[in-house]
Amino acid sequence: MNKMLVVMLGSILVLGGMIWMLQSDSNKRGTPSLSVDGTEDEQGQSLMFFCAASNRAVMEQIVAEYTAEYGREIELQYGGSQTLLSQLEVTGAGDLYLPADDSYLKIAKDKNLVSEMLPIAKMEVVVAVQKGNPKSIHTLDDLFRKDVKLVQANPDATAVGKVTRRILKETGQWDALDKSTTAYRTTVTEAANDLLVGAADAAIVYDAVLHTYPDLEYVTLPEFASGTSQVALGVTQQTRQPRAALHFARFVTARDRGLVNYAKHGFQVEKGDVWSETPELSLFAGSMLRPAIEDTVKEFEQREGVRVNTVYNGCGILVAQMKAGQVPDAYFACDTEFMEQVPDLFPEPTDVSQNELVIIVKKGNPQQIAGLRDLTKQGLRIGIGHEKQCAMGWVTQNTFREGGVQQEVMENVTVQTPTGDMLVNQMRAGSLDAAVVYLSNTAGSGDFLDAVRIQGLECSVATQPYAITPASPNALTASRLFEQICSAESQDSFTAEGFRWKVDIESSGGND
Amino acid sequence: MTEHAINRTGEAKSHRTRRRSDLPFFLVMSGISSCFILLIVLLLAADLMFTSLEDFKAAVMKPEIQSAFRLTILSCTVAALLSIWVATPLGYLLSRYRFPGRLLIDTIVDIPIVLPPLVLGLSLLILFHLPIGGWELEAWLRDDVGFPVTYRWPAVILAQFSVSCAFAVRTMRVTFDQINPRAEDVARTLGCSRGQAFLQVALPQAWRGMIAATTIAWARALGEFGPILVFAGATRMRTEVLSTTVFLELSIGQLNAAVAVSLLMVVMAAIVLVVLRVLGTGLTS
Repeated sequence: MNKMLVVMLGSILVLGGMIWMLQSDSNKRGTPSLSVDGTEDEQGQSLMFFCAASNRAVMEQIVAEYTAEYGREIELQYGGSQTLLSQLEVTGAGDLYLPADDSYLKIAKDKNLVSEMLPIAKMEVVVAVQKGNPKSIHTLDDLFRKDVKLVQANPDATAVGKVTRRILKETGQWDALDKSTTAYRTTVTEAANDLLVGAADAAIVYDAVLHTYPDLEYVTLPEFASGTSQVALGVTQQTRQPRAALHFARFVTARDRGLVNYAKHGFQVEKGDVWSETPELSLFAGSMLRPAIEDTVKEFEQREGVRVNTVYNGCGILVAQMKAGQVPDAYFACDTEFMEQVPDLFPEPTDVSQNELVIIVKKGNPQQIAGLRDLTKQGLRIGIGHEKQCAMGWVTQNTFREGGVQQEVMENVTVQTPTGDMLVNQMRAGSLDAAVVYLSNTAGSGDFLDAVRIQGLECSVATQPYAITPASPNALTASRLFEQICSAESQDSFTAEGFRWKVDIESSGGND
Repeated sequence: MTEHAINRTGEAKSHRTRRRSDLPFFLVMSGISSCFILLIVLLLAADLMFTSLEDFKAAVMKPEIQSAFRLTILSCTVAALLSIWVATPLGYLLSRYRFPGRLLIDTIVDIPIVLPPLVLGLSLLILFHLPIGGWELEAWLRDDVGFPVTYRWPAVILAQFSVSCAFAVRTMRVTFDQINPRAEDVARTLGCSRGQAFLQVALPQAWRGMIAATTIAWARALGEFGPILVFAGATRMRTEVLSTTVFLELSIGQLNAAVAVSLLMVVMAAIVLVVLRVLGTGLTS
């Protein structure tokens, strides 16, 4: 009985002692950011980073460098891409997510778990073999040989498997490969490990995976040329420290920071931005766009912790500035015409929105102006945009010309301004009887002015394109700003300001 | 007496017969047994041949692995001790009493054993983060109690405990099943309460079973991997136990390191099992 009491008491003491040790260990290392509430000052708080175990080697180096430079602790949480995704979904915690390939990020994005996706590197589908290629595997047909034991990553569970199946189904070779596959593994590293221990002779994997396998080499097959995937880092929707998370994400994807490590680890890295602690993004935007994008830009600055120096002006003036050598990172033009004047700087614009010209008149339309023709009435005081200084002026002249009223109307034009806002102000001041402006310029003036539609003239509609200059050191950040501009909230403000939405959001991701 | 009566020739003959009949017995028995022993020995030998002393040393010297080693020892021991504290009364109740819902409880106890490990981890994760009318267990523990669980060491222990306790309960139940309840009944007729009969009569007889249950719980906790990965994560220096180290090393193709850590686990397990066995013998003697 005594002995038993001693053992029971002893076990309680041991239990208590061990729990105390665990707790004091944990106190020494601080608590993960799971418990951190969002505060204005995010400095110094740790970030929780769900990282695919396959990226461990490179990510540990980057995190060590980041922590040494900025002092912020990153809690690296490793696991399989799918496991991490489930954890992200169930716990609603975590600031960053880096799966083995971007297919998981797309799922996460569809589930609204991830907001920003920052590209890191490309991976190609290759055939891994043992060093020296003892089975002399050089073509796809070699994989069908009886003496070759082939392992693949599961085509339902892994990206590399999915890509392989897609490509070979197109060429009609999938069934043959499926038959010659000895085993399917749940991850690409398991397939590579099979090769390492000699359980397989060939494995279909991503080239980047093999960097940590010095005893393996790979064969590139022409069939897999189109089989590339991307490694990308996602910033979660639920993060309470978006600025800190994006600061780290920018560090990882900066061409002179994290990407250097990725390149060393055998990844074909993306271009990446040039590292800057607080990047300054310059954006030239036509002044008509100001009310539609102003809040979005502000929110973007807030979330990213970057500065966006936006210059709003008539597009003619902006083009002149660019031709004079002042090149912004991104340019949001009032009309495609003013984008086409700088094709070298902005070769790949995306059309975002449309805005139509209207005739504004005083409330109640006392002059009874019903269309372009009525602007030719004698004695009218008309204001229009300046042809050279802004897209609106250019579109207006086009419209007059197409409508066959250019000469007569120009006789009534008393003022030409570089922006539509100025014309609206002059209308409100009573110095004009009518003006030709964008519908978006009239937002908020409904109590004083009426707008008359210009019917039947295609050219009275202006299309606003957005583009990023390829030479920009902040191209990635500028493309994230574009994504923000394409967000649902931003679309609402475009619509509220009288714009029509044009861009297809799905295709807008690769704008850079 | 009878042996004296048998003549020498007969004695020798019967000896020979006995030897002849025993030999196949031992051959068959040891032949079958050695298959399994040989398999384990070969596994270990293959591991040893795959890795080298340098790999082993390099692995042991890594601070991450030292930290994982410490966490493994502490968490497994805590999980095993908690398991035996829970398993003893539960095993006793299931063994001695017939009560309504006994079959149901018996089945519930086995669920962690049959459940796939990842599912168990996911279930724990969901349990702690399921919002019930705006209330969430993890949020309550974190904000009101000040003791967050997910992705911390308590999650490691809870994940280990969930499985190892089920095994401990099984063992304790069988232990009590094998102890004749008559002794406890007699004690009660002599004036013992149920509690006294349990503490003073049943428990001392169950020592060997308790040691076995602790051993099995500890070993299960050591091998636990799936639920820990999902519920506690695999954060280096924080929730990384040796089984997750093996996974982390495997996932970047560091097979040597993975095997070295596995061997470290084997050594560690062997030491703990021997110590528990010696302890068990000491207590029962």
